Amino acid sequence: MSKAPATERKAKEGIARDPLLGYAALPGVADEMLDANGQIRPVWRNLISHLGRMTESELRERFARADRYLRDAGVFYRTYGAQGSGERNWPISHVPVLIDGREWETVCKGLIQRADLLEALIADIYGDNKLVQEGFLPPALIAGNSEFLRPLVGVKPVGGHYLHFCSFEIGRGPDGNWWVLADRTQAPSGAGFALENRVATTRSFSDIYAESHVHRLASFFGAFRDALQSHKQYPDDRIAVLSPGPANETYFEHAYIARYLGFMLLEGEDLTVVNDRVMVRTVAGLKPVGVLWRRLDAAYADPLELNQHSHIGTPGMVQALRAGALTFVNALGSGILETRALLAFAPTVCRRLIGEDLIMPSIATWWCGQRSEREHVAKNIERMVIGPAYSRLPFFDDNGQSVLGSSLRTTAKDTIGDWLATEGAKLVGQEVVTLSTTPAYVNGKLTPRPMSLRVFAARTEHGWQIMPGGFARIGAGDDVAAIAMQSGGAAADVWIVSDKPVARPTLLPPEESFTRNMPGSLPSRAADNLYWLGRYIERAEGALRILRAWHQRYAESADPNAPLLADVTRYLKGIDIEMVKAVPAPLLRNIDSAIYSASNIRDRFSPDGWLALTDLAKTARRFHDTVHAGDDASHAMTILLRKLAGFAGLVHENMYRFTGWRFLSIGRHLERGMHMTRLLGHMSGPDAPDGSLDMLLEIGDSVMTHRRRYNVATARLTVADLLALDPLNPRSILFQLNEIRTEVEQLPNAFVNGQMSPFYREAMRLHSGLAVMTPEAMSEETYRKLEQEMEKLSDILGQTYFS
Amino acid sequence: MLYDLSLHMGYTYDVPASGARHVIRLLPLSLPDRQRLIAGSITVGPNADERTTFIDFFGQQATSVLLRAPHEKLDIRMQARVLVEASSMTADLSPQLDTLGQELADFWSVDAASPHHLTGASPRLMEEPLIAAYAREIARPGQTVLEIALAVCARIHKDFTYDAKATNVDTTPKEAFRLKRGVCQDFTHIMIVALRSLGIPAGYVSGFLRTIPPPGKERLEGADAMHAWVRVWCGEAMGYVELDPTNDIPAGSDHIVVGYGRDYSDVAPVIGVLKGYGNQKAVQAVDVIPLKS
Repeated sequence: MSKAPATERKAKEGIARDPLLGYAALPGVADEMLDANGQIRPVWRNLISHLGRMTESELRERFARADRYLRDAGVFYRTYGAQGSGERNWPISHVPVLIDGREWETVCKGLIQRADLLEALIADIYGDNKLVQEGFLPPALIAGNSEFLRPLVGVKPVGGHYLHFCSFEIGRGPDGNWWVLADRTQAPSGAGFALENRVATTRSFSDIYAESHVHRLASFFGAFRDALQSHKQYPDDRIAVLSPGPANETYFEHAYIARYLGFMLLEGEDLTVVNDRVMVRTVAGLKPVGVLWRRLDAAYADPLELNQHSHIGTPGMVQALRAGALTFVNALGSGILETRALLAFAPTVCRRLIGEDLIMPSIATWWCGQRSEREHVAKNIERMVIGPAYSRLPFFDDNGQSVLGSSLRTTAKDTIGDWLATEGAKLVGQEVVTLSTTPAYVNGKLTPRPMSLRVFAARTEHGWQIMPGGFARIGAGDDVAAIAMQSGGAAADVWIVSDKPVARPTLLPPEESFTRNMPGSLPSRAADNLYWLGRYIERAEGALRILRAWHQRYAESADPNAPLLADVTRYLKGIDIEMVKAVPAPLLRNIDSAIYSASNIRDRFSPDGWLALTDLAKTARRFHDTVHAGDDASHAMTILLRKLAGFAGLVHENMYRFTGWRFLSIGRHLERGMHMTRLLGHMSGPDAPDGSLDMLLEIGDSVMTHRRRYNVATARLTVADLLALDPLNPRSILFQLNEIRTEVEQLPNAFVNGQMSPFYREAMRLHSGLAVMTPEAMSEETYRKLEQEMEKLSDILGQTYFS
Repeated sequence: MLYDLSLHMGYTYDVPASGARHVIRLLPLSLPDRQRLIAGSITVGPNADERTTFIDFFGQQATSVLLRAPHEKLDIRMQARVLVEASSMTADLSPQLDTLGQELADFWSVDAASPHHLTGASPRLMEEPLIAAYAREIARPGQTVLEIALAVCARIHKDFTYDAKATNVDTTPKEAFRLKRGVCQDFTHIMIVALRSLGIPAGYVSGFLRTIPPPGKERLEGADAMHAWVRVWCGEAMGYVELDPTNDIPAGSDHIVVGYGRDYSDVAPVIGVLKGYGNQKAVQAVDVIPLKS
């Protein structure tokens, strides 16, 4: 690039630093920020002049704001590697990509045409198959395609459309024009990440964002939400996001989208088909579902008629579709449109189906199942990338399944013709593309990095709408293949900049009300997880309290065989906590179980709660490795208890008091009640070692209260009175049963035909049974029976609400 | 030949199953100039709470049932009367192997009868290098497609031992090929993989065999349960030919067709997902009685 213009501007604007921060475009490559003459494109000028004026520390501080936002919001995606899978923070590239609004209009035109083309194509593939009969599409590409789902052939979608939400991977070539690199129709991901990217980036550049005319994203989602509402056939139909579950790469986004749009987040096992209608199992019984935004690959949706090995599907789903009871976004079978080899046929198919030429071309692709195409690929092998014909991933994102023709050894090149002749039907050749570059901030400098855009299209009541933005995938190096996030690529926000002020719909919350989940539509599985989250959290707390009391005493006596300590060790062993380490492994497992339950209901969780919980787990793990018995451990337990209280406090202060809350609450109270009952049974008997009663009071956090209320030394009766029967002590058994009773009254189906449900009746019976007891009557036998009855209460709860 | 067919499949569960959905594919097909289903019924015990029928992609009638209440036993019965017309093999009109590929490429259809469904891999059948090598060794240059198919059928019959204990319904062709043992399903799968490796479209046929042989003839293997054999595409002029590798014969008037598919998974007689745990035991009884010839 020429240095002169930059220097001139610097002089004019009085900028101390190089406004381009050392940026220079690569030769022969288009650049998003600089035009062919090295001039800054107009839409970038404002941002760059700001950046040029910032000191490095200011820039770092601004970028840190974005990182902090993403971390606090818990934005992650799952990676898969040799060490198994793990969560990785969303890799943001802080400098947004800016695109001129007028140029964007032509991009939109091209992509809307393409969405129409894909709709016509899928309708033909699952309908009359004219394209094959007339010789436009090779039959092998359909019949040999694992995404050609035969049970769906002839099944017309309700409302007439197969596709409702698509995304496109597009890139800019050296001549400055855009190309489609891949179509995503199966379960396009990234729309939620695009939203989070936007929020994070505006944290860095709130001032610049506010004064630039950047198109907002919210109205796109609003229009799509309204479109989904309009697909409901019955007023009581639910709309849900169907997820394969927390093990999926983009589960965070499934939960995020569900929460953002106010839809339920469901998995296959939440659903059942009754008389050809799809129903969700909720704590108030079966409720109809009319629209499913599917993030599950279609083949897994129904183990009866699709992939018989699927454990995450719903038997009878295809049957319900045949009966026309359900709208899938997108229709089952749409994944076939992602087939790489189909790109080769897009131009002719477009002319045949909609009578137009493609506005935006696809990346040049040749299917090697045809002779002349095969020969073309062999002749031009140096400019080709060869990959699997049926792959549904773009070549730079397919985990190394594609090879560059130029990387083949000379000997291999000689035999390329033979290879293509025998394996041709399984291969495609694609012209190697050089993607445009965009500035990324690397080591204090703006550096050109290859990028592609992911753009989203949603079918609304007024036709296809293109999200004004999306996200740009930024390569980790010069290599195009490094754009894939699994190999270290990052994502940047995309600003579509208008020369006029833009409309500003709010992001959150939407103004008008929509599918507010009605009382009782809490899915049974979510209720189950909330209940167990409550129980695991309380179980951890119970164990922590005992362990702290144990280590305090051990710090004084240093004798683990002292009668009291030995007795408590025995008790702990009875509840599967072996005291091998000061912070025992079973305690960690307990916290992990709580996290597992919570991870299944991320859509119902505030990011703060999640952070508190994972922080607790991290700290416990560290203590497990480092903490020694005695004073050190007792201190560690205090820290863990405080973190746990932090989580409980967040939940208590912030969670909406609805059905879900009640299950969590019942879980906590029931576990706490059982814990106290078991403990009293063990430690308040006549044979209990000296000091047992004082330790009990300490575990039950009731030392002060006892001193004030009874004015006597601890005795069996006063301890039983305070820890078992006192209705005002938040640690007593009676208190827990009272709370459970109160919660149960508010649950759906507490009364069936005017009669108490079995669960309600049992909770009532337990509560009143204990309320009339006297301290004298509280024997070991009484505690044992009480504990059994509480176990039974838990079973009845499960049968009533979770099955 | 007129047949009365009856079949009973019984399942016993260790733990009661509830909310069980099944898709049943047991009724014989009606095929022009080949066989006619005169009457047929499927009954399920306990009674189904929901029941619908539909025609699947390959043209077979499927019955979908839901049994909501907990049950420890499931009985599925099929009864049918079928008229089968004796068919004889026509002259060999199939092309040589090296021109079959072009005939296939010129076959512009993906409807149910298209041979394009029967190439490459299918849900149960991956490419197997060992079976491909086996097939290459059998096929001779200059042979027609039908000659190759007959040769592979004969070789499998010769090299493999019928042994109902050696394999089960989930055995892969690779495993059965290693064992050199198995039942009709295994031989059928191996023959399909072998033919497809040579580029010959081949598919799965499920059906029944007459139980009692005609006087003076030996009883055929596989007559006491449902049977399976292979469907081979022999080019545009000849179309499909059905060969039974278990008995090394072409499918004739002793063979009653229930369904066509790419492999077993398309025609499995009962697909069911049980909401329950534990083992299940299954019994199967088949009678194929000729009424008159």
